[in-house]
Amino acid sequence: MKTPPRIWFTLALVALGKAHSSGHGTPADEYQLKAVFLYNFAQFIEWPESAFATADSPLVIGVLGESPIGSNLEITVRGEKLRKRPLVVEHYRRVDEIRNCHILFVSPSAGPNSKQILMAVQGRPVLTVGDTEGFSQGGGMIRFLTEARRIHFQVNVEATRAARLVISSKLLRQAEIVGKTGE
Amino acid sequence: MPQPKSPRRALVRRSLRRICATLGLAILVLIAPALVKGEDALPSDSELKKLSLEQLMDVEVTSVSRSPEKLLEAPSAIQVITNDDILRSGATSIPEALRLADNLDVAQKGSHAWAISARGFNTDSANKLLVLIDGRSVYTPLFSGVFWDQQDYLLQDIDRIEVISGPGGTLWGANAVNGVINIITKSAKDTQGLYAEAGGGSILQDFVGVRYGLTVAPDVYLRVYGKYFDRDSEVFPNGDDASDSWRMGQGGFRMDAKVSPDDGLTFQGDFYSGDEGVATGGRVKVNGNNVLGRWSHTFSEDSDMSLQVYYDRTHLNDPVPGNSVAPEGRLIDDLNTFDVDFQHRFRLWDFNHVVWGLGYRFTDDAVENAPGLAFFPTTLDHHLFSGFVQDEVSLVKKLTLTLGTKIEHNDYTGFEVEPSVRLSWTPTEQQTVWAAVSRAIRAPSRIDRDVRLPTPFFAPLIDNLLIGGANFESETVIAYELGYRLQVASQFSISASTFYNVYDDIRSTSLGPPPFGLPLFYANNLEGDNYGLELSANYRVFDWWRLHGGFDLLREDIHVKSGQFDFNKGFNETADPKHQFSLRSSMDLPQNIEFDVALRYVDSFEFNNNGVPGTVPSYFELETRLAWHPTKNLEVAIVGQNLLHDQHLEYVISSPNPREEIQRSIYGKVTWRF
Repeated sequence: MKTPPRIWFTLALVALGKAHSSGHGTPADEYQLKAVFLYNFAQFIEWPESAFATADSPLVIGVLGESPIGSNLEITVRGEKLRKRPLVVEHYRRVDEIRNCHILFVSPSAGPNSKQILMAVQGRPVLTVGDTEGFSQGGGMIRFLTEARRIHFQVNVEATRAARLVISSKLLRQAEIVGKTGE
Repeated sequence: MPQPKSPRRALVRRSLRRICATLGLAILVLIAPALVKGEDALPSDSELKKLSLEQLMDVEVTSVSRSPEKLLEAPSAIQVITNDDILRSGATSIPEALRLADNLDVAQKGSHAWAISARGFNTDSANKLLVLIDGRSVYTPLFSGVFWDQQDYLLQDIDRIEVISGPGGTLWGANAVNGVINIITKSAKDTQGLYAEAGGGSILQDFVGVRYGLTVAPDVYLRVYGKYFDRDSEVFPNGDDASDSWRMGQGGFRMDAKVSPDDGLTFQGDFYSGDEGVATGGRVKVNGNNVLGRWSHTFSEDSDMSLQVYYDRTHLNDPVPGNSVAPEGRLIDDLNTFDVDFQHRFRLWDFNHVVWGLGYRFTDDAVENAPGLAFFPTTLDHHLFSGFVQDEVSLVKKLTLTLGTKIEHNDYTGFEVEPSVRLSWTPTEQQTVWAAVSRAIRAPSRIDRDVRLPTPFFAPLIDNLLIGGANFESETVIAYELGYRLQVASQFSISASTFYNVYDDIRSTSLGPPPFGLPLFYANNLEGDNYGLELSANYRVFDWWRLHGGFDLLREDIHVKSGQFDFNKGFNETADPKHQFSLRSSMDLPQNIEFDVALRYVDSFEFNNNGVPGTVPSYFELETRLAWHPTKNLEVAIVGQNLLHDQHLEYVISSPNPREEIQRSIYGKVTWRF
């Protein structure tokens, strides 16, 4: 006679498994969370003096392409200041619309060719953030990844150095450091 | 001989009741707090902003979005099954995962056989769909169809499955008459670390899978995986065991490397081996391996190229039952495929995106014939040359015209041309309207030209019951399509496609010479048309609750050309329901619990079992999955499949195989991630 279904083994494991409090309250929307991450990143990065016109010029977060992160960012940064600088969100539909910004989020809808986009801001002190595959390999500085329903991120340190950005170790400690891509 | 009703089934029924009771109680216990608290709003922004970086990384995310934004503009009826869709559905095989595409007709014939097609023609040897895994074609030249039992992968590592219904001849070549299924696995970079899964149940008796991914050098990523499973047989309509249990082991690797800023290299391979029982007695042995390499080079932002080479080998050892005209025996098939494919993409004068490519495929098929089923010549070397070009022209800001054609040369019919014209209009950012006219062909396969059903008991009076047609030509389709897509924020999206296909030279069976009219032979005497509608919608009710619905409508009129003859009166090439719909619900519940339910309805359809017509009745079926993440790295799940009936009929294979029904089943699974 065939042995009973392996269900019981699995259920036993369930019973033995330890309970774990589910993070912090109810689950969040992916892009709301990423917007808060960007707000956080800004606090752990130092831009060179030349990146700002005056002591109270705004810190600009640019969003390239259509993305739900745009509206979430507006809400997150409303009324906030970072080291006395107001935070401002700008939306760009195409690469040639990118003006002076300090953080650039490249949304997946901006196209698969992140290389072209990253070249447009190369050499400028702009923190590039994305969540598409190959973003770090193409020279993107921070890439979001979702695994087991939690967001974590990779930092391409070589790329940040090339842009003359100083990243606090507090940020790097939480990140997966990605090797240099060459160039 | 069929075995008596097994006591195992009664045990399963009891276990099922026990499991349901326990689950019901568990669900209640776990949901109770949420029910009492009432529907929770999103965590407020100010709450999230207070969290440290470390704490933010511990917050759970509800939507695992892939980027369907570019999909919005595609001028074809494309649906994408994401990795998350596959995992949440509890699917345990690629055919089960394909049920998630609303534009496919997926019917399970038995324990290890499936009938899958798009837009009709889901006949026993369905041949109008092109299926690729990472660019490697997996249909067999024996009958231009797919042996679904031999296409498998660690489902965890499948990135997505793109299902395009409608002719894909221009880009993909012959055989993509009614659709293309593109199974894409994750890059090795995205499958790092150790992953293991194991479990078992009533039909999927036990299974195990392991994958280990590592970084071997800077920018060089590798994964290796292995999997194995044992599946029980399905049953005959009277409940008796159908003796088609099977087991399969598979392993493989994938390496992705960035060798320079502009060059990527991918190298991957798999091997599998298994054996399967068949209802008519005996066991089938299958094994195979493949290896694929791809080099991609970026010239500039708008220009890149890729060169791909693969080798694929399959071995099939099949028992062929005896009958009144021939004794039993075995059919052994060994197929070697070697394929080279080159593609170049570039921009011309700012408003043209051009893609062109060249390909060559060599197949070497060697058959050891059975007394009752044979192919002549036993060994066949086949050369396929192909070239294609496609230009995507931005006419005005929101209007894009895509023109393209594929030209192939195959050893059976010579040159074939498959052109296509597509128009895509995006009136607003969230909407796309598209239209297309295309021509596609299905080139002859070995069954159309080379098959023989010998009758040794009656030789030399009659040599064969049926033979392939020496002049069998390609089947053709001219397809007219129209589609619409709408995306409303991240809340709601819907896509609708309609089509009208005109078919010519569809396979038929003609009478042989007098006095017996034998052997019958294959000819191209059917023609006709079909039309239909495919609808697919997604609705995010709350952040933690997603709904998905799909509906298909199909009307077919395939008939014998006037003045011609078909032994089966035009009924043999179709076995398709007129309607299908599906409804899926996906819930992320508190305490790290996931609950998914999928309901499907398939209308009845008529089949023609080699001259014996019949009907497969309509049915509703239900799948559910309950999963729990006690820790970040551990997942425990229970999945119930085909829950609404003890057993039900989805398909009838042509004789001599007796019909089989699919049983209710349940399995449990544990997943570890390190």
